[in-house]
Amino acid sequence: MEEWVGGLWDRFITRVARRDHPEAAVHLADIEKVLGVLFRALGGDPGLRVAAAADTRHGARRRLLERVAGTGEKAAHATLDLETLRLPATLAWFPERHLNRDLYLWLIALAAAAGPAALTAREGSDFPLGAWLQLNQAAVLRALERFPGLAARYRKLVEAVIAERLDPNRLPADEAAREQAMRRALREPGSVASLPPPAGRKSMPLQPVPLWLYPAPVAKETPARRARHHERDESSGIDAGAEKRRHEAERTELPENESPFLLMFRAESLLSWAEYVKVNRDTDEDENPDAASTAEHMDRLHLAPDDGKRVASRVRFDLDLPAAAEDDLVLEDGVLLPEWDWRRHELKRDFCRLQTMTAREAPAMPLPEHLRRPARKLRSQFAALAPARRWLKAQPEGTELDIDACVRLHSDRLAGRHLSGAGAYLAMKQNERDLACLVLADLSLSTDAWVSDEHRVIDVIRDSLMLFGEALAATGDAFAFHGFSSLKRSLVRFHAIKDFGEPLDGAARGRIAALKPGYYTRMGAAIRHATGLLERQPAALRLLLILSDGKPHDIDHYEGRYGIEDTRHALIDARRAGLKPFCVTIDREGAAYLPHLFGPGGFTVLRKPEELPTRLPLLYAQLTGR
Amino acid sequence: MKTASSAAEPAAGTSGTGGEMPYYAPAGNEIALFEHAWRNHLPVLIKGPTGVGKTRFVAHMAARLGLPLFTVACHDDLTAADLVGRHLIGDGETYWSDGPLTRAVREGGICYLDEVVEARKDTTVVIHPLADHRRVLPIDRTGEVLHAPGSFMLVVSYNPGYQNFMKGMKPSTRQRFVSLRFDFPGAEREEAILIGETGCDTMTAKRLVSIGRALRALKDVDLEEVASTRLLVYAAILIRSGMEATEACRASLVESLTDDQEVAQALMEVVLATFGK
Repeated sequence: MEEWVGGLWDRFITRVARRDHPEAAVHLADIEKVLGVLFRALGGDPGLRVAAAADTRHGARRRLLERVAGTGEKAAHATLDLETLRLPATLAWFPERHLNRDLYLWLIALAAAAGPAALTAREGSDFPLGAWLQLNQAAVLRALERFPGLAARYRKLVEAVIAERLDPNRLPADEAAREQAMRRALREPGSVASLPPPAGRKSMPLQPVPLWLYPAPVAKETPARRARHHERDESSGIDAGAEKRRHEAERTELPENESPFLLMFRAESLLSWAEYVKVNRDTDEDENPDAASTAEHMDRLHLAPDDGKRVASRVRFDLDLPAAAEDDLVLEDGVLLPEWDWRRHELKRDFCRLQTMTAREAPAMPLPEHLRRPARKLRSQFAALAPARRWLKAQPEGTELDIDACVRLHSDRLAGRHLSGAGAYLAMKQNERDLACLVLADLSLSTDAWVSDEHRVIDVIRDSLMLFGEALAATGDAFAFHGFSSLKRSLVRFHAIKDFGEPLDGAARGRIAALKPGYYTRMGAAIRHATGLLERQPAALRLLLILSDGKPHDIDHYEGRYGIEDTRHALIDARRAGLKPFCVTIDREGAAYLPHLFGPGGFTVLRKPEELPTRLPLLYAQLTGR
Repeated sequence: MKTASSAAEPAAGTSGTGGEMPYYAPAGNEIALFEHAWRNHLPVLIKGPTGVGKTRFVAHMAARLGLPLFTVACHDDLTAADLVGRHLIGDGETYWSDGPLTRAVREGGICYLDEVVEARKDTTVVIHPLADHRRVLPIDRTGEVLHAPGSFMLVVSYNPGYQNFMKGMKPSTRQRFVSLRFDFPGAEREEAILIGETGCDTMTAKRLVSIGRALRALKDVDLEEVASTRLLVYAAILIRSGMEATEACRASLVESLTDDQEVAQALMEVVLATFGK
């Protein structure tokens, strides 16, 4: 009973105390693409990512009701650093939807005007308040000067924000003075050089300013954890939770369990979620079903290294290299490839070592039963694309007379009509299809994820290659299949599945069936090697088709923007070599980074991965058809 | 857009350098370079994105040098006969009809092949003997060998951005030309062009140019082709004739550049950020 009443009260008071307007909320996910394009158009760095920001405790004064309800103590701020522009996942500050949307747009314009890394705090130190105040006012002025059309909207937003703030008349004198200065800084940006100092320690911090950028929190990282962190990224695959909001997190080392019999805990902490208790409970198998909502209420998540021991369902693989006798055959070892370092703007020579390899045991096999029918259909469809010679009628010149046209011309002339310029010849035209296609499939461990009840990503990739091979064979175009994965820069594994010269026979199909997921995605190196292979093909159109399921990423520093910029560099080189790269991805977030890599019309995001086998040949027809 | 003969450019500016001369605001030394090339019988290749004034520049130069201009808009069905000429079947006889290239050679004018990469490679080979020191045009069909007079000039243009791999420019063709690169004009020059072309006010010109420059930052990331000076001119014309500025921009810039709704929305926000809502 007590609990029930408590629950009711909580729901009631939370609703009454709410200051935001959920019915008018605008979600970042809905307008992410628009914001990304706008950010780049207004002069923002095209390599930056737009992502959701974490809620942080602001510590400012709240209304009485909010204090009673225990809400409103956190807010998500817009932050900007070298790699990411973070925006609140949802904006519901204002009762009108269009104002919330305008706030997003405003933050984008402000971030574009602020320039990169304006607000990046030095590691370990807080960003000085005065500098924050001045930087933001300067950025506001710059944004308004560059985008004069925003002025009216900015004023509206300022008034709406001020209307939501606490009335200075009801604040203590010093806080009121600060609040007044803040309002002045919003209304007349550039007019406030510094805030009046707080009177004493009891003085509360400023209320959050949704119109301004905040310094990006500096993540504290302990060096030992990077590899494990990645492991999880790869394994989570595409079915990872939809909740993408970030939590403010801090890496913590677990205390060594020196004596396994000693259970450490602090009794006074048991009732509180907010404090991190250094208890090593890595053998705890019960997942807290309510963990997400708990995390919601915590200020800071402490992430401890978990020694790779995940709850049972997640432990599915082993990232150690298999024994040499078990592993795929190495065909060629030690192909050295460069890598692009975007921070230093230099191409690191011979930075990656690539091994070309082929499956050790891949018995020849016929086309699997379930693919026979679609394969037959594709073959007949694609046979139409095969090069053929045909006669063109009524040409102005040609090798033969077009009797029909001659008769028509002659009779027209006898009838007194004069048709000059109409052709009377037949010309033979060769429909040439001079093209070569190299398919580069991502075989990283993330392809082990399940896309549906029956299929994993790797199954979809296998089926796609099988069917695509049938279609390509029907067109007569030269094609090759390769796969790649990587384990740090010293081992980029490049699997030969079918080379340009080889036929698509049982042995090649066997190699497709033997594909196994493993390791990570060092895309740049693989693209560079594939570029070299495809470049040697004499065809006029050379298509580099990349099948991917996620961002480029490896367990050393190859992650985030580094991986993306390296891949981009490799793609630019590929284009320079006269290749046409195209990416087919099943990564639903692909739209965020793929335009930067492949350009508009250079990629396709498949919402349903299981459609890949049927869509891929059609895409190819669309790409190469005239 | 492409005109088939000389002096047919519509909407010639009012503040041009001469009476009939199409308006052209030079970016650098291209006028001098063109004149040098013409005097020394060198063919010229002009490359640059669409709508930056390549065609206008050629028209301007033809007027300036007092030469007839023969423009051919190249396409992939263009045959060598379309350029050189062909026998036509007439009333009881066949007769020879000169193509634009032959006419330019005979009359000593400028032959301008617009978007030359669009033409098939075997077609463009016919210009080879004209584009080097020989300066001759052999016509197989009639057995004639035309020698180009001193005033004849060959000009080709192409848009490197369009280049798809089915059609590229043969290196052997490319290496016969003096090359000029055109790019989007700087902000001030572009404002001057807008004002010169349309007579719009300075504020409108400034804002349109800033929108144009913002959209150009999206090249190859979100947009395949970016706002050309020509599109900005269209927008200025619509605004001057009384359309609401944001609507004019939607029609002439946003919808012309993308079919993607979300990208269009974002471009529209750029317009609104400049012209206000």
